[in-house]
Amino acid sequence: MTIPGWLDDFLWTYQTLIHDLGINGLLALAMYVVLAVGQLSLGQAAFMGLGAYSGALLSMKLHWPFALVLPASCVAPVLFALAIGVPTLRLSGVYLAIATIGLGEVLRSVYINWDYVGGALGLNGIPERAETWMIFSLLGVALLALFLVGRSRFGRAMEAMREDATAAAAMGINVRRYHLMALVTSAILAGLAGSLGAHEADFISPGEYGFEPAVTILSFALLGGIGNPAAPVAGAWFLTLLPEMMRDLPEIRLALNGAIIVLAVLFLPRGLFGWRMKRRAA
Amino acid sequence: MKRRTLGLLAAALFATPVLAQAQSVPVGAIEILSGPNAAYGIAIKAGLELALDEVNVKGVLGGRKIALTVEDSAGSPDQAVNAARKLIGRDKVVAIIGPTISGEMFRVGPVTNERKVPTLGTSTTANGITDIGPYIFRTSLPESDVIPVTLKAAMARGVKTIALMYANDDAFSKSGFDVMKAAAEKAGLKIIDIESFGQKDSDFSAQLTKIKSLKPDAVGISALVEPTSGVLLQARQLGFGQETLFIGGNGANSPKLGAIAGAAADGLIVGSPWFIGKETDGNPAFVAAFKARYNKDPDQFAAQAYDAMKIMAIAIDKAGAVDSEKVTAALAKTDFKGVMGPFQFTDHRDPATAAGVVVLTMKDGKFVILK
Amino acid sequence: MLAQQMVNGVLLGATYALFALGFTLIFGVLRVINLTYGFYFSAGAFIALYLTRVLGLNIVLALPLGTIAAGLVAVAMDSLLLPRLRHRRTAELDSLMVTLGAVLALYSIMTAWLGPDIRRFPPGTISADALEILGVRLTAAEGLILLASFVLVAALMALMKFTRLGLAIRALAEKPDAAGLMGINVPATSRIVSFLSGALAGAGGILIGLNFNAIQPYMGESMMLRGFVVIIVGGMGDSRGALVAGLALGIIEVLTAGYIDSGLKETVAFAILVVVLWTRPQGLFGRAVGQRA
Repeated sequence: MTIPGWLDDFLWTYQTLIHDLGINGLLALAMYVVLAVGQLSLGQAAFMGLGAYSGALLSMKLHWPFALVLPASCVAPVLFALAIGVPTLRLSGVYLAIATIGLGEVLRSVYINWDYVGGALGLNGIPERAETWMIFSLLGVALLALFLVGRSRFGRAMEAMREDATAAAAMGINVRRYHLMALVTSAILAGLAGSLGAHEADFISPGEYGFEPAVTILSFALLGGIGNPAAPVAGAWFLTLLPEMMRDLPEIRLALNGAIIVLAVLFLPRGLFGWRMKRRAA
Repeated sequence: MKRRTLGLLAAALFATPVLAQAQSVPVGAIEILSGPNAAYGIAIKAGLELALDEVNVKGVLGGRKIALTVEDSAGSPDQAVNAARKLIGRDKVVAIIGPTISGEMFRVGPVTNERKVPTLGTSTTANGITDIGPYIFRTSLPESDVIPVTLKAAMARGVKTIALMYANDDAFSKSGFDVMKAAAEKAGLKIIDIESFGQKDSDFSAQLTKIKSLKPDAVGISALVEPTSGVLLQARQLGFGQETLFIGGNGANSPKLGAIAGAAADGLIVGSPWFIGKETDGNPAFVAAFKARYNKDPDQFAAQAYDAMKIMAIAIDKAGAVDSEKVTAALAKTDFKGVMGPFQFTDHRDPATAAGVVVLTMKDGKFVILK
Repeated sequence: MLAQQMVNGVLLGATYALFALGFTLIFGVLRVINLTYGFYFSAGAFIALYLTRVLGLNIVLALPLGTIAAGLVAVAMDSLLLPRLRHRRTAELDSLMVTLGAVLALYSIMTAWLGPDIRRFPPGTISADALEILGVRLTAAEGLILLASFVLVAALMALMKFTRLGLAIRALAEKPDAAGLMGINVPATSRIVSFLSGALAGAGGILIGLNFNAIQPYMGESMMLRGFVVIIVGGMGDSRGALVAGLALGIIEVLTAGYIDSGLKETVAFAILVVVLWTRPQGLFGRAVGQRA
């Protein structure tokens, strides 16, 4: 199959953007899985950073093939999730949010102070191995899996927990196990996204995984809504495209971006894409 | 992340009618025009546009005008890459000027180099920029050319021991520090302490108190102008006097240092490829034109951008066609006399000479030549 | 050197406490991680800057006026953003989001309007002379910050303990629904809390701007993360806890930077945050105003 010239040009022009859509979609899902069980964990940027750094090191220092690097990039985020999950999941609401932000900052300062990973200069010359089809097939698989889970009895348990964790526990749902599972899933998705991002950008640095990206990922999910897994992905796509659509208005770009978030939260409490998943009646 | 962006939708919605006349030559620039570091990009844009208007009086390639599209990166490497792809893929620019900071260039460079579009940094001073590939040029002197000149001037004033301070969470500052450390070792200075801080910090008291107790002859600071000013202000509060010589990296080389730190900055020395009173042929006219148009003094970034725009225009003219390969070849042969002084590229596409570097010192809030 | 480093630590700690006071108040009472808080901090500093630079006011006048103005800005913003969310099931999340969007917009409007450059109060706004005792130096601005942080904490505690308003605020923090039933005017009390919080932020912004001579639109943002550490370690809503936690954090950071490695200054702050959350999420000091989930 040959691609016509204009399409090739178009794809090249928007290659980074198209990749970002896929990667940010995965990150939005990483946020979705914890929000779906009623947890406000903001560790996704930290998971993403671990995936990016461990993946980049495996590629650059050990020269592993990408087919191995990609799954291996999930190991560090998952271990980190397990290590923080056990003590942290006792926390609720804003406490958990702040704890995970704090952990993200600790990791950021580790990258900055560690010369082996380049300190503030970051890692340069990561092989560009993330192909468009890889990114989008992973996103598709993740979406499908989460849809299926959402429609199963797990989905009902998740919704019960989101509505009222205490009542859910009384109904015999092992809330902590669900919470831990959600956190580990989140770590896998964000780790993949981080590793894909590192292998498409050629360059990573500590600032990409701090507080600011953490809240950006949250805004993907909240803007889209968490009624179904497609909604956060749509939210991510909307926020990813937004600044580019406003390229001609640099002065007020960030201001409009912020204003749209405000209006969406105030007037569309279920997110922009907030329909709920249908499930057979219990 | 950081709101990576772009616009499939934009393509449909705003189908950019950038190209003015079919005859004009499209050139792109990527600079930081919004967000916390906008000051640098805005100065560069001012310098570029001033030069552009002068170039377009005569035009290039026998009277064709250069159409400059300046894209905002907001300081985000992601947005800088998207801007580069848009400039090359949609606007079909023949060359790119910028981006503003080295961290952005490390992301943008590989992309433009792959497409063989010459890319001319005007303010990227980190090591390794031109290693990215054969289409990456810069007119800014790397720190490794400037710092040794500054240190030599310091040693001429009897400096034997030095303490170094740098912002460890910023690529520009870290890279400047690496250069400063290597240059100090090579010059035979004794480094008695190394301290770091965060570039958004406003408190440096712990580091400065420690340095003060060690009594170095000089303190070298590698950071952007804001934290550098903060360090100086606090150093004076903690009782550092003129017996300690403060040495700035490229970040300190900005009139903002005097505006923020005031008298606290007096005595600091910094090496610079340009300063407002530089006696090159075009400089007084440039300073006057800049003042008339923007109602403020130009800084180093504006001056470098002004020269870079002219260098680019000459290269396009010499190339004889709107062709990136030919412009690249013509750029490599640049032989230009600008407000910075005579300019040529090395074989490695860095500035050929650091002879134009002058050492400046702060006096009453303004930079003057160190005597 | 140790004596000077202790003074440095206390001073840094006082700026943290000063910043965190209003933050912990609004967090403790209204249950909101109010990310616009950092903007009120910047707003206070800019208003005072305008008053001194353009209108030529003395700082003695500009400080209270800027403080009040920042409080009013906070009331206006909070009443626009927060009341609508109060009764939502996901109020915590939504308020985090909405204030995030708002602060993004506010900072960039402010930058577009005023420019990104750093500004400073006119030289001589406050005496630059330093008091030197036994080799330890303290400037007037530093003394003012120290004084202000203690005075404001004491005033806030007295207000909470001895006045009817304080009682109403505490009732609102403990049981928002019951407070309404008991005849407390919830919207009005919330507005007063917003005002107090914004005014404290504004005062902090002015004093800290005066000391570090660096006023810029994003100045509030860089303080936010430290603010989190202080309000968690101090216990949310606890003004005395904020003072103690702020001072402790300042001293620990300075000693880490001075005697171990300045690269670890920030790491230590966040490591403390995480450890405290794991072991004592209610905060290390005293008992918080609010009830915890």
